[in-house]
Amino acid sequence: MTNANPTGESVALDKAEPASAPHHTFLERLYTGTGGFPIISRRKFFYTLAAIFLLVSLLSIAVRGFTLGIDFTGGSRIQIPATDEITTQQVEDVYAEALGHGPVSVQRVGSGASATIQVRSEALDVAQIEQVQTALFDRFQPKDASGEVTRNAISFAEISETWGGQITQKALIALAVFVVLTMIYIAIRFERDMSIAAIVSLFFNLIVTAGIYSLVGFEVTPAAVIGLLTILGFVLYDNVVVFDKVEENTRGVLHLKKRTYAEQANLAANQTLMRSISTTVIGILPIIGMLVIAVWLLGVGTLKDLALVQLVGMIVGAYSSIFFAVPVLVSIKERWGPVATHTKKVLDKRAGIGVAPRVPVGASAGAARGPRPTDAGAPRPGSRPSGKRHKRRH
Amino acid sequence: MPPSQGSAHPFRLLGVYAALLAVIYALVFFTGDKSPTPKLGIDLQGGTRVTLTARTPDGSNPSQDSLKKAQEIIENRVNGLGVSGSEVVIDGSNIVITVPGDDSQQARALATTAKLYIRPVLAATPPQAGGAAPEAPPTGGTAPQAPPADGQDPQAPATDAPAPATDAPAPADGETTPAPQSRVFPAQAPPTPTPSPGSPTFQEQQAKEIADAKALRQSTDQAVQQVAMASMDCTVPDPLAGNDDPALPLVTCSQDGTEVFLLGPSRIDGQEIADATSGLNPQQARHEVNLEFKGSGSDAWADLTGEYLNQRVAFVLDSEVVSAPVVQQGPQLGGRTSISGSFNADSAAELANTLKYGSLPLSFQTSEAETVSATLGLSSLKAGLLAGAVGLIAVLMYCLLVYRLLGFLAGFSLVVAGFAVYGIIVLLGRWMSFTLDLAGIAGLIIGIGLTADSFVVFFERIKDEMREGRSFRSAVPRGWGRAQRTNLSGKTVSLIASVVLYLLAAGQVKGFAFTLGITTVLDVIVLYLVTAPLMMLAARSPFWAKPSVNGLGVVQQIARERGAGQVRPKEMSR
Repeated sequence: MTNANPTGESVALDKAEPASAPHHTFLERLYTGTGGFPIISRRKFFYTLAAIFLLVSLLSIAVRGFTLGIDFTGGSRIQIPATDEITTQQVEDVYAEALGHGPVSVQRVGSGASATIQVRSEALDVAQIEQVQTALFDRFQPKDASGEVTRNAISFAEISETWGGQITQKALIALAVFVVLTMIYIAIRFERDMSIAAIVSLFFNLIVTAGIYSLVGFEVTPAAVIGLLTILGFVLYDNVVVFDKVEENTRGVLHLKKRTYAEQANLAANQTLMRSISTTVIGILPIIGMLVIAVWLLGVGTLKDLALVQLVGMIVGAYSSIFFAVPVLVSIKERWGPVATHTKKVLDKRAGIGVAPRVPVGASAGAARGPRPTDAGAPRPGSRPSGKRHKRRH
Repeated sequence: MPPSQGSAHPFRLLGVYAALLAVIYALVFFTGDKSPTPKLGIDLQGGTRVTLTARTPDGSNPSQDSLKKAQEIIENRVNGLGVSGSEVVIDGSNIVITVPGDDSQQARALATTAKLYIRPVLAATPPQAGGAAPEAPPTGGTAPQAPPADGQDPQAPATDAPAPATDAPAPADGETTPAPQSRVFPAQAPPTPTPSPGSPTFQEQQAKEIADAKALRQSTDQAVQQVAMASMDCTVPDPLAGNDDPALPLVTCSQDGTEVFLLGPSRIDGQEIADATSGLNPQQARHEVNLEFKGSGSDAWADLTGEYLNQRVAFVLDSEVVSAPVVQQGPQLGGRTSISGSFNADSAAELANTLKYGSLPLSFQTSEAETVSATLGLSSLKAGLLAGAVGLIAVLMYCLLVYRLLGFLAGFSLVVAGFAVYGIIVLLGRWMSFTLDLAGIAGLIIGIGLTADSFVVFFERIKDEMREGRSFRSAVPRGWGRAQRTNLSGKTVSLIASVVLYLLAAGQVKGFAFTLGITTVLDVIVLYLVTAPLMMLAARSPFWAKPSVNGLGVVQQIARERGAGQVRPKEMSR
């Protein structure tokens, strides 16, 4: 496991030596899902890592806070098409001359034909906007898309400081509803333990993504808040796909003393590793495209905000669905319910008979020889799952 | 759907999808305006968007009724601008006004809650044009300690009213008022009844009517004023309705249609009213409306009441006179006054509300007002489309790299899904006025990844089956059975997310959630009707079973090793 830098470029992979020594390259083992990467057996390590992420995120949020966008602070924004001869200094001077006070910031954003100079200021009223617009127009004669000189080439917006709060409040309500509905759905479709693990991993995502935003100082805008919500949808989607595999592999595992639940879950995590990577890459590629184009052409705005939060969230999400959600699920299972006793029985049996050397849980499950428990008992596709519902709960 | 169906009639399923596409595009090209362009949001075509947040005194949620009423009134004002494609929609407790095009100043002015002006009455007559007026007493007089003025004859000046253009006093407060525009005054027929909404040029017609009405009824020429008063029909809806110019005189009706007024230019803007309450005056045992002015309004009120003592002043709301009491004391200092007349508790409360909030039943705060120039809109649109194209190509490249030629199947599924989504967005724009904005484009781009993922899951399942030692041919149908379940579970979660976001979130998110939801649904349809049948067809052909074509050689290798219990190193070309 490389020390994953949260803004890293891909899912960090476990570089542990494989238990057996198949003559397949790392990529092949990854591709075929036979990597046998010890994900579950090294849970402690992954938990520590997760704890570090969480701690750093929470600390950063507490200490540094967030860089809030205009929607949260309130104010006005004026954009004028930037040509080569307009400098930000000139715009600032014109603004100050028109209103008698300086703007909060003036920056050049975007490039080429889409380049604009963006002025931010405290909230202006209609009359002041009019004044600035007139002054800017008189001084720079901006052209619109058809090359005609018009004052309408100047865009402006004013936003009250309550707007961002309003959006965020609605977003939080949506989040709560979403979490409840999804928990119910996963509990019905799979089982309760999985729904708990999924939600734990969801909050992990939420906090770490917010933490990265706070650490890097990305601007928090309503679009970013919303993007975060959709990310959670995507993360849960990812979790569901992994859990689907876990459920399939662990079906009936408690009836035989061949393998432990943890080993089977690890096998599932390995088998879906390639899918998770593919999914993440496929999900991220358009978003990277969006981000690059948005920043390059437009500089700022909705598109960039959405893309950025999706990018960060997806990377965190891909990591967590394999390296956090599955370990959490196994931990829940081994702490409560019959899984723990079963695991002990299996290990005792192995030790007692001495057929197999005692292996760390889940270490080489992927590379285990012999036929896997046949899927003869697998239900017909489309039929309802018969996940074990364990009675003892905390 | 059992997998057997997926494998039995691949061509039939593909045919169903083709028919679906055909239906969508037939609707696009042969119904409505026949243009295959979606309705664009103002951030993509330029225009102004104003979000008004309703404020209730106690901070509770405003009632839907009052929101609807406010929406109607604002809609009337927006229609007065005559910009086609303008919209006023309710979004939670917000009202969102969008006005395309470059005329931003006016669009922003719509957000003012009160279009109330206080104008002196220069002349008043019963209506002479139109139907018989309903019997109703005129509104009574104002002033503290005044006897009731019910039914009192308005002491209107004779018809030789001073031409207000020459000696009209300057606007009372420091407000900028638009300069009167010079107009040509055609000999003017009374305004025609409003055309029914829905005709394509409805808004343009309306704009023309407003211009005509202004020319006739806001003239500074006394002769024209006389004509206007004589021809004023109080029984038809007023085309001006809030679009009158406060700096000019105005000929208009009282709200109950019993009087026609000639009013001077506005002296006080409704914004100067700090508060209006209604209550029972204990000494007089009658209901009154108490008004309180803000600082600058107080001075203007004192001037006005001094100037028009024993004459009437009119409270004009959206171009209608809601109350025209006689000034019984003047000048009234201190910025407080009360209006009394034949009120009951309800009518007093209603008038107080009207004076306080203008015609809107709620007070609104502008949460967000944004004007996007057409230039910026075009750049945003280009950027969005380019980003989508780049994303699509990048995903295709990756699919080809990992899935070899099968990647073409994934790409094909993506493209046909894209066609359907585009058509649906065009149609929704037409039917439900769904507007595609930048956030919506972002939703579509993110949908690319989700759609491609269905294929990824399917492929991985096939790989699982082959690892068990099956051939490509038998692995596909079995893998499909399993992939179905995984995909449906996953997509359900995505759909829950989109629906919740769409229903609960505010602002631009709706567009994002909507497109994401559409792509999710379409994705499932395409998976069943296109991707799966194509894979079934591929499974039957020897060509697709070649490891070099599907890239699954190494999986078969693993299966062989496991089956034979031996390990043979094998080169893998990736």
